[in-house]
Amino acid sequence: MTEPAISRDTVAIDEAVHEVYQKLTEGNDPVDVPFRTMKDVFMWAASLGYQRGERRPLTGKRVTIFRWAQFSPQTDIPLLKALAIADSGDVNVLLKQDDILTIAEEYANAGIHELRTRVLDEFGQPLWNLVELSQ
Amino acid sequence: MKLERITLENFRQYYGRQHLNFAKAKERRVTVIHGVNGAGKTSLFLAINWCLYGKSVDNVKVIDNVGELISKEAINRAGVGECVRAVVELAFLHDGRRYVVRRSLEGTKKQGGSLALNDTDDFTMMRTDEDGQAKRVSNPIGTMNAILPVNIRTYFLFDGEKIDNFAKPEASAEVKDAIYLVLKVELLVRARRHLEAIAQDYRKDLKQTSGGELRDLIERDENARKEREKAEKRKAELSDGIESAHRKIADIDRRLLEIQGARALQQQRDHLGRELKQRQSELDSLVNQIRELTTGAYPIVAKPVVDRALQILDEKRERGEIPSSVRKQFVQDLIENMNCICGRPFLDGSPEHQRLLNLMSSRLPGSLEDDVLDTSAALRPFDERIGKLRNDIDASMKRRTELIGLINELQAELDDVGRQLRGSPLEEISRLEKQRQEFRTDVESYNAEIGSLTERIKNLTEEIAQLEKDIGKAQKDERRGQLLSIKLDLAQRSADALGQMYQAFSDDMRVRIEAKTKEIFKRLIWKDSHFQDVLLGPDFNLEVIDRYGMFSRSDLSAGERQVLSLSFITAMSRTSEEEAPLVMDTPFGRLSSHHRDSITKHLPELADQLVLFVTDEELRDQARKNLEPRIGTEYRLEFDRKTSCTEIVEVNR
Amino acid sequence: MLQDRIRKLFGDYDSAIQSVIAGVLVLEQEHISYKHPRVKDQIDEIITHTASKEAERLEKAKARRK
Repeated sequence: MTEPAISRDTVAIDEAVHEVYQKLTEGNDPVDVPFRTMKDVFMWAASLGYQRGERRPLTGKRVTIFRWAQFSPQTDIPLLKALAIADSGDVNVLLKQDDILTIAEEYANAGIHELRTRVLDEFGQPLWNLVELSQ
Repeated sequence: MKLERITLENFRQYYGRQHLNFAKAKERRVTVIHGVNGAGKTSLFLAINWCLYGKSVDNVKVIDNVGELISKEAINRAGVGECVRAVVELAFLHDGRRYVVRRSLEGTKKQGGSLALNDTDDFTMMRTDEDGQAKRVSNPIGTMNAILPVNIRTYFLFDGEKIDNFAKPEASAEVKDAIYLVLKVELLVRARRHLEAIAQDYRKDLKQTSGGELRDLIERDENARKEREKAEKRKAELSDGIESAHRKIADIDRRLLEIQGARALQQQRDHLGRELKQRQSELDSLVNQIRELTTGAYPIVAKPVVDRALQILDEKRERGEIPSSVRKQFVQDLIENMNCICGRPFLDGSPEHQRLLNLMSSRLPGSLEDDVLDTSAALRPFDERIGKLRNDIDASMKRRTELIGLINELQAELDDVGRQLRGSPLEEISRLEKQRQEFRTDVESYNAEIGSLTERIKNLTEEIAQLEKDIGKAQKDERRGQLLSIKLDLAQRSADALGQMYQAFSDDMRVRIEAKTKEIFKRLIWKDSHFQDVLLGPDFNLEVIDRYGMFSRSDLSAGERQVLSLSFITAMSRTSEEEAPLVMDTPFGRLSSHHRDSITKHLPELADQLVLFVTDEELRDQARKNLEPRIGTEYRLEFDRKTSCTEIVEVNR
Repeated sequence: MLQDRIRKLFGDYDSAIQSVIAGVLVLEQEHISYKHPRVKDQIDEIITHTASKEAERLEKAKARRK
């Protein structure tokens, strides 16, 4: 697959939600810590964000949490591209990796709050809350 | 400071480059510069002042009339647009080092003959250091202030017209000023004032830094650590307790196996126990598996994204914006062969032909086209994958429920065994079982307690980490506060010391000046039997007491008043103990010949170096004779009325 | 020289004070021609320098006593 123009290859989140990402990935007990990597949290958040139809631009200080290379080529990258196409309604968005990333980051920025609420704040253990979210 | 040489270039009536050397030997320390009035004595005197200080320093006016510093002759001779420059260079020695100070003022000659002057003059100070290298001094004002500050220069670069300033009745302020500045009393005054001010600032600053916070934080830190230690000890105890309980339970199990009435049940219990462990371990792996599945299950939630994207891609393809799997070459081939994709030929200009042409022209950039196709291809299988994920998760969750059910059942059966054993008619069995149950309860409660202790320890560790941070900051603050206290103490005590010593010093200086002035005055005045004493009171009035004990300053003749002032000045010069030249511009002009004779006899002793600008009138006969053995160099200023220029001519001795 | 005389004037005070006063007086001399000299920062430097040395000395003394 030919790569479109690249100028950044890191994925960032708003500093204000960094704590949520940490809470969702730090710890040993799988029941309490349902996500394996921050990339997973990100993809979940971005998907939820789209579901809510909300894009939230990053306003505060940015924290880089992982690199483009973490995305799996069969699942994640097509999903990110699909997100970009679905959002813009146009295929030209694929020309710039920057735009694809920005779109994903902003959906994730909106979806992370939903994710936190449904997984951590609700009654019950986080893993089962997440399972419920997926069904 | 000991003057060595002055060089003038196009300065006022000194056209061209001229110089003179100052006498600086111990015996022959007098330089005499003759000139009639208007010949250039005052200009030369001015040159020294201007060179050292410029036209004004911090609003202290050094030269009243800058006006024409540049030689008129030089301006005349210059062409239009040419640069004309006045330069004065002064070489002097101070504290064993050689200094060269150079000041220059430039201007450009305009059409019509006048000069467009630069706003500022150029000033450099060079100092020769131990290895003989001349280096530029970066802080010339500060350096001059340490050698001969601008505001005391008039006591050393001395204008003869002002000679009786100090003996005037209203001169007490000037006398005080002179003493304060020349004798450095002013230094103490300023130092004290500034130190007081800074002590005030420190005091204010100190009030703001906090106090016993550090102690409090350290205490909390200690408590937290103690509590954590206790918790950890307790955890260890509990772990031991659990181990011991397990051992006791194992003993009871073994014992029960030996007893006839209990063997079968105990065997059953063992069997159930093993199976329970297995199921639990299965459940654990399953939970991990579920987590693995769920963490990557976001495609399920992203289904709307995939659907929408595919929808858009399909729409675009239908509208002909994206060749679905038609490549450029393929289209070209079709057009070339005039064959439709289904094989039917089409005619040039036919709708089919047009469609293909449109397809060709509405193409996307090559790589984007590939990307779109690949993305499309990658997204199509998603539906199936999502389905599989869902099923896998469902299945796992179902299995989990099953396992939990099984585990509960096994647990129930185990409980049942226990009940049966407890209810056994054999006392020993029942007793053993009851004990066993107690031990099991213990283990459970120990585990629960361990759980809450672990949580508590985690919280305490976080708390301790935060306290450590806070303590670090508070320590920094306290150290700063401590340093500030020391600074305050130093500043205040220094200010106090200055306050205490200043009065004594000021009085001491005043008394010394008084004594020295008296000594010199007596030496210089020819009528010395008439005057008994010179007083310089705390009010800084310079008084003369006659032999009747009366204040008699008003009885002094003009000349005597001048001599008193001169005595005061030279007394200051001596008392300051600084090596400084006395440069005097027509100092004897208004003195009687008696006074002149007396002064010329003693003056060389009253200064380390003496430079006298005199008219021939001033230096005649006895006066001349008196100075003769002390004169080191002598010059004559010759003024040419035709050119209005002065030439410095050395007088051979 | 007058400077020496002044220095002797404060000979009875402790060395830290003498150090501060000596430093400040040199500073004042350098600025004597200014009517309102701006010497506050430099005086603060002098005092801080001496105070730090004092603080060190006190620390060492405290450590020794322990």
